[in-house]
Amino acid sequence: MTTLTATPPAATPGPTRRRAVWRRALVGWAFLAPLLVLNVLVVLGPSIATVYYSFTDWTGIGSANLIGFDNYTRAFTDPAVHEALLHNAIWFVLFLSVPMALGMLGAHLINQVRRFRMVFRTLFFIPYVTASVINAAIWKMLLSPNSGIAAQLGFDQAWLGDPATSLYAVNFVVDWHWWGFLAVIFFAAMQNVDVQLYEAAKLDGAGRWQQFKSVTLPGIRPTLVFIVLMTVIWSLKAFDYIFIMTHGGPANSSDVVSTLMYDQAFNQYSAGYAAALGLSMTAVTGLVLAAYAWLRRKGWEE
Amino acid sequence: MTTSLSRRRFLSAAGLAGAGLAAPSLLSACGGGADAGKGSGKGEVSLWIDITGDANQKYFDEKVIGAFHAANPDITVKTTYYKGQDLRQQVQTALQARSGPDIVRGPSATQTIAWSKAHLLADLTPYAKQWGWNDKLAGWAVQAFTTDGKLYALPMRVDTMLLYFNKTLFTQKGWTQPKNRADLEAFAADAMGQGIIPFGSSNTDWTAAGEWLMTLFWNNFAGGDAVYQALTGKTQFSDPVFVDTVSLLKSYFDKGWIGGGASKYFSVPAAEVGAGLGKGTVATIPQGEWYMSNIGAFFGKAGNNTNEWDWMAMPPLSATAKADSYAIGIGGSFAINQASKNQDAAAAFLNWYYGDRTAALQRMSDVPATYNIPIAFKADEIPQKTDPRAARVLTEVDKAVGSGNYGYVTWTWWPPKSDVFVYEGLEQVLTGKITAAEYCKQLATTFTAERQQGNIPQLMPRTSQ
Repeated sequence: MTTLTATPPAATPGPTRRRAVWRRALVGWAFLAPLLVLNVLVVLGPSIATVYYSFTDWTGIGSANLIGFDNYTRAFTDPAVHEALLHNAIWFVLFLSVPMALGMLGAHLINQVRRFRMVFRTLFFIPYVTASVINAAIWKMLLSPNSGIAAQLGFDQAWLGDPATSLYAVNFVVDWHWWGFLAVIFFAAMQNVDVQLYEAAKLDGAGRWQQFKSVTLPGIRPTLVFIVLMTVIWSLKAFDYIFIMTHGGPANSSDVVSTLMYDQAFNQYSAGYAAALGLSMTAVTGLVLAAYAWLRRKGWEE
Repeated sequence: MTTSLSRRRFLSAAGLAGAGLAAPSLLSACGGGADAGKGSGKGEVSLWIDITGDANQKYFDEKVIGAFHAANPDITVKTTYYKGQDLRQQVQTALQARSGPDIVRGPSATQTIAWSKAHLLADLTPYAKQWGWNDKLAGWAVQAFTTDGKLYALPMRVDTMLLYFNKTLFTQKGWTQPKNRADLEAFAADAMGQGIIPFGSSNTDWTAAGEWLMTLFWNNFAGGDAVYQALTGKTQFSDPVFVDTVSLLKSYFDKGWIGGGASKYFSVPAAEVGAGLGKGTVATIPQGEWYMSNIGAFFGKAGNNTNEWDWMAMPPLSATAKADSYAIGIGGSFAINQASKNQDAAAAFLNWYYGDRTAALQRMSDVPATYNIPIAFKADEIPQKTDPRAARVLTEVDKAVGSGNYGYVTWTWWPPKSDVFVYEGLEQVLTGKITAAEYCKQLATTFTAERQQGNIPQLMPRTSQ
């Protein structure tokens, strides 16, 4: 009886093998290089510069002097920042609840019909694909207290001009622009839910609400969790509609941190302080992402 | 040994590359500079400018840039158009990065000072001497852009505030042009009683619109002398006369006289206010002379009505303010980028633009109140075809400046942060967040600090110019 003994591989690679290894590494870097250079130029470089400027008194022009943590200390005690953060929180709650609920309802309703699905999806999607500048400009006119929709119905209310309603009026427009997109995404997710589950639920005597709660929602949970995460991030960086429609006014009543940051950088000549505000918001966003990662690890998404 | 790009290797490599790239940009931001030069005086120079509307851009392309090219075939001016509010930020960011246009369309005098102090603008003094710019332009306007004996920009347009009114409506209602505060308030009360907004105004499309109102009220209630005293630091903006001015303005808002009230002032689009003036639901609009190029859209065939418009000076609102006084200032500037590689060619354009009086007067005539550069002229030199209302702005402002009967617009003579507070703080007064006294106190504090830093231009003195 003979025994076949495998010859062990050489402990160290020969020159030919090393060259092959290096060549493969080089090819990998070469493919990565364009994207890497682009990212370094437009993301990493400015990010590092922002960190630096957040510790300076830079006005946005000329030289910058290091002032330690003064900008961060100021941010913690600035009433305008506190007010803007409160507005961010209100925005977050509204942006997370209203479009999400409408989107879910819209998707569920489309899911029930068999004809004109594409028409409904297109109609829902139109506000999302229209440029925010156009949407905002049109809604500014529609919300005019003299000639807008409410004025035609007999209401004398300056929705954007009243500090008590300005934030909610802009948020209404953003929700209007956003919910159709969510409806289409949720609808796509609902298409993947096994029909047999609904049939089984029906056999068990489940009504429409119970089917939605026990079959649809668990079935689209990965999509739902992802959309929630994205909504949280987008609500933290809300800017365009507020800037176009109210500039954060009147009297800061619709200011969120991003519009306040813009005002500090470009109107108040406090670019260093604006950088500190921006980084603080980045930290908040980072915490949200960390929480999401933790929840995923805990199996929340499955 | 692994051949894949591990996450650790990837991140460390990217971090090092980022640090390497960021370091030079940080250094340049701290006062470095790119290669700049006078150039050959030929070739291409770039200009970014905030002219909006096809017709206005066509006029600039043909009558300004086209005419310059015809007279200077060796130089090409490449123009890029931006929206007004975007331009300052775009230019400032580009200048800071030692790039941007060769010819800089700058903001007001005080903001341009900041650019000059950061060494972002070329010294124009040699060019001024070479071509005698000081003799061609009004001395006060040149002085406003001169610091430490160096000229760093040229004044782009003489600004003032006017009270536009629906002439037909005034005739129909039997209103005469108010001559004092009592007249003005009687007219306002009467108009309001008839459902007509006395003073149309809105900051919806231009957040800084509040400073137009403050300019009018400070100069026509506190008076030009009082404003001058405060600007020179002899008195404070927290003094009672300025507090009373702000209180008066707020009382007009509270009565609904201005824009129909604060909440409507914050939310009615400017075009709707203009349309209201044309239709007669708004009686007057306090606005700058530049509005003359827009107002035609709301009257006659364009506005679908048969009404006519005109303008008047804002009447004095107190015994200390004078009649027929105009707040004077400069609407923007032209300068040369310190980082430009073709400064001589850029200067040649400026020399042509400011040097040809006939062409300059023709532009003032063609496009009302848009190209009003501060040059000396006689009334009979104004082209005959000029709209009489636009010609009257030229002659009245000239007369006011010549007799020393003028005030000061906030966007030229107030330092940058103070200027921003003038309109942002006003929003807080109008919404009841702060009182008029608190507003003036905060303004005084900000202004004093900026004044001590030297961020204020040389003021027009209280004498005839």
